[in-house]
Amino acid sequence: MMTRTATLVLLLLGTTAGAQSIDYDPRRAVELRSCDEHRYRGRTEQARTCYTKLLESQTPIVEAEAAWALGDIQRANQIFRDAVQSNERAVQPRVRWARLFLQTHQYSDAADLFNEALKVFPNDVHAKLGLASVYAERFEGQARPLVEDALKQDSDLVEGHLLTASMDLEEGQLDDAEKALDRAMRVVNKDKLPPLEVYTLRASLEMSRGGNPDQWIKRILDYNPRYGAVYQQLAHFEIMRRRYKEATVLLRRAVEVQPDLWAAHAELGSNLLRLGIVDEARTHLQAAYSGDPYSPTTVNSLRLLDRIDEFSISEDPVVIGPDTYQVRLRLHKKESEILRPYVLDLTGRSIQSFTQRYGFKPRETVTVELYPDHDDFAVRVAALPGIGLLGVTFGYVVAMDSPSSRSTSEFHWGSTLWHEMAHVFTLELTDHYVPRWLSEGISVFEEWRTGPTPGVVVPPEAIAALEKKQFLPVADLDSGFIRPSYPGQVQVSYMQSGLVCLFIEQRWGFEQLGALLRQFDGKRTTAQAIEATFKIAPAAFDKEFDAFVRNRFQTVLANFEDWQKQQGAAGQAIQKQRWADAIEPARRAVALYPEHVGGDSPHLMLAKALDKLNRRPEAIAALEAYHRAGGWDPLALRELSRWLDEAGRAQEATDLMVSLNYSDPLNADVHSQLGERLLTAGRAEEALREFQALLALNTLDEAPAHYGMARALREMGDKAGSRRHLLDALATAPHFKPAQALLLKMIEERT
Amino acid sequence: MAAPIALGATVNEARFISALLATACALPASAATYTFVVAGLGGEPAYEQKFREQAAAVAGAAETAAGSTNNVIALSGDAARADAVRREFKTLASRMNANDSVVIVLIGHGSFDGENYRFNLPGPDLTDTDLARLFDELPARDQLIINATSASGAVIERWRKPKRVVITATKSGGEKTATRFAQYWAEAVASDAADTNKDQIVTAAEAYAFANGKVEAAFKAETSMATEHARMEGDNSARFTIARLGTAALAPDNPEVAALLTQRGTIEQDLNRVKEQKASLPDTQYYDQLEEVLVRLALLQREIDAKVGGGATP
Repeated sequence: MMTRTATLVLLLLGTTAGAQSIDYDPRRAVELRSCDEHRYRGRTEQARTCYTKLLESQTPIVEAEAAWALGDIQRANQIFRDAVQSNERAVQPRVRWARLFLQTHQYSDAADLFNEALKVFPNDVHAKLGLASVYAERFEGQARPLVEDALKQDSDLVEGHLLTASMDLEEGQLDDAEKALDRAMRVVNKDKLPPLEVYTLRASLEMSRGGNPDQWIKRILDYNPRYGAVYQQLAHFEIMRRRYKEATVLLRRAVEVQPDLWAAHAELGSNLLRLGIVDEARTHLQAAYSGDPYSPTTVNSLRLLDRIDEFSISEDPVVIGPDTYQVRLRLHKKESEILRPYVLDLTGRSIQSFTQRYGFKPRETVTVELYPDHDDFAVRVAALPGIGLLGVTFGYVVAMDSPSSRSTSEFHWGSTLWHEMAHVFTLELTDHYVPRWLSEGISVFEEWRTGPTPGVVVPPEAIAALEKKQFLPVADLDSGFIRPSYPGQVQVSYMQSGLVCLFIEQRWGFEQLGALLRQFDGKRTTAQAIEATFKIAPAAFDKEFDAFVRNRFQTVLANFEDWQKQQGAAGQAIQKQRWADAIEPARRAVALYPEHVGGDSPHLMLAKALDKLNRRPEAIAALEAYHRAGGWDPLALRELSRWLDEAGRAQEATDLMVSLNYSDPLNADVHSQLGERLLTAGRAEEALREFQALLALNTLDEAPAHYGMARALREMGDKAGSRRHLLDALATAPHFKPAQALLLKMIEERT
Repeated sequence: MAAPIALGATVNEARFISALLATACALPASAATYTFVVAGLGGEPAYEQKFREQAAAVAGAAETAAGSTNNVIALSGDAARADAVRREFKTLASRMNANDSVVIVLIGHGSFDGENYRFNLPGPDLTDTDLARLFDELPARDQLIINATSASGAVIERWRKPKRVVITATKSGGEKTATRFAQYWAEAVASDAADTNKDQIVTAAEAYAFANGKVEAAFKAETSMATEHARMEGDNSARFTIARLGTAALAPDNPEVAALLTQRGTIEQDLNRVKEQKASLPDTQYYDQLEEVLVRLALLQREIDAKVGGGATP
């Protein structure tokens, strides 16, 4: 059993707005209830007086609950701990202690205590509900079966119905949420419980349906005029739907109604950061910190804000036809000079592509932020370090990892930016009503179709899920992102969503994908939008999609084991340097599953083996097939570029190297070689960009970069700029002979 | 720049010219540079091979720089035993005098137990104290010691001495992971990548900056925590020439060139004066003055190249 000595954070009365602010536990001691009533009605002073008296109670649990309600978390913690340690089989104190941990966001400790309670008494529904709440907080798939199990045991568990409704709302299952709320309301009426939580979720449901939640808000504020949690909860669902502006309005209202609702201040601060409103964000985060100095999310965000000066901001116009769009880049000063031209170029190209494809023109400045430290990015988007995302889009603000934050072989920053920019369009075109699956699906689809690494890349995990029939019905696809029920389901859901978009394009034409997107105006579910667009029921859509995807991947599905075998055999032969033995299995693996272009791709093995056997033309063909399929490994493509050069295909080699800037932009050798190639090819403007990047990257040896810029500018007719960089080159390296030769030529021409 | 460099019993004027190309300073005619490279115990075939190749690259560059194999000793594999190292140090000591320079390169694995550093060799290791004694016994006062092994940072303070430059691959004895520094040091001496002032001579300062930068970049590219941080102690590491490239290695014997090089030294001083005024001069004036000096330098270089036979690189 646990002997926990963890320090709990100190919270103040009335500030503990989490998922549940009303305690519906029927085992709650009778003497607490009159105090609770004051609290639920917003009569703070009366509640405080009432709870204070109970601190003298002879019943430890009552004393602990009173201390908890008064914000003396340490005292409550101590009493619960003593109660648990004095009785190893005590269930209720354990469950209540776990609740305390849950409310203070210490989920692992809470889960351990709920599990201990269930070991003592496996059928304790409150322990089950508590554990389900932990899972729900972490968006883990076990939440649902556990809450269903608890409700089977006791259908009067208000909290069980509320938790179900909350998860339904998060997943967009609005009718199911309504049914759960009806069941909760029946119990609330029957047992005369405070209706605040039910009304709050009713308001959320109304809003999710595109209606006006005001009638429910009025009822809540009539019951408790200081119940800011209703606005915080409404904001939570808006944030879940990525409607950050709308959430901001609600969170501002929350802190107006209840100025000491520190969690709402914290959320408001984070949300304002998402929108790029930095100064006001800092004000609310500081307010949150003043009331709750222990919140890791608040502290992390404030720390990041303290270092905001390390980033430089630029704003540039992107002109596309008659339209001009503003792009703001927030890049770390140490790499902004290198990355800015490439980020700006790709952002501009994505705007050009998506305005044309989706018929939507951005109405505000698009902001792109790149973070060289992944934890800074994680804090920026979730206020917590350690999340596994690469990029996040908050409407017109894109935040993502910088290429320097990850190994070049595992991160193609250009594709990530392209993916995120597609979100800008799908979110803004639908006023953020697009469901998660479709927004992700279009982003993946656009990576495949128009991104910097075109090719339908589907990893083996997705093929395995397809084989095991784990793809979800389209109407439920959001749950695969929000509450995954098996490891890797989020990644599989990305792939399935992309494939659904591909299916729509192939079956009905690309225009219909845009038509489907426009269905989402806040009033339609996925099922309704599918029916309205394609005139078929979601079930029929699923059936056709299943046939499409099984047909597309029929070869690998029918031979998945064989593919694994061939892949393994090729890998082993490569490892043992038995090149000839690698060729046939690698060829077979490529033929069975050409879409596999990951690190252990058979395309790469085949190319390597062929090259080792001096079969260079075939090796080139193998790497070209890999590249066409969407492969982008910088090492492999640099090799291919070299081979193409040696084969006299200089132009293709140069173009291939240009593409490396979107995976490996911090490689000085690439910029140096590319600058020379582009100069030779007469592409002086592009060459200049490469030498500028080289100069920013290679501070140790600046002369070649200056010399390259001098030549590029000379080609572009900028004699003054050329002279300046030439002299800079020679000032750094006075004996640099090519630069000396050019200087003398320049003087000769002048005279 | 202060005096140096690669002059020995077998030295000819070509190498004297090359030295001036780097330094524009006259040297005591008897001074020579000796190089001793030891590749220690690899422990496994891949390391054995890597260390041997690195040692060969460093030794090869030193031979080119010295213009002779006589000034270079390299031990690797099973030959690099402690007694052999001691013996070769003695041989080396017997050849040199106080005006000579010596470059010692240690490649391989090292260890540090909190008190003693050990250079891992086949058979008994050599400790930092053993090695310090061997270095001290060399008559040459100008010493460049590159300890590229793991845990090499443990020795940097212990080996410090006037006129000695010590370079270590790690910042302390606590950095115990196999190092990458030697690989990039070998790269620095084998190509023009480290020659940042483009004079076709790689000095210890340039090689250190190059290798250090490469190590940092390698860890950064892998987004892995850096397990080594190189250090350098001692003044004016640029006085040590560790590689000569292109015409700097091939320049013929020609007294006229020496006169031209003296002129070039004067122009270089003019150049430095202009550069020093960069902050105080208006841009236009700075670049005009820079151009005037650099044109003079380029014209003179053309003359030198014509006499040496190197010619300008296209």
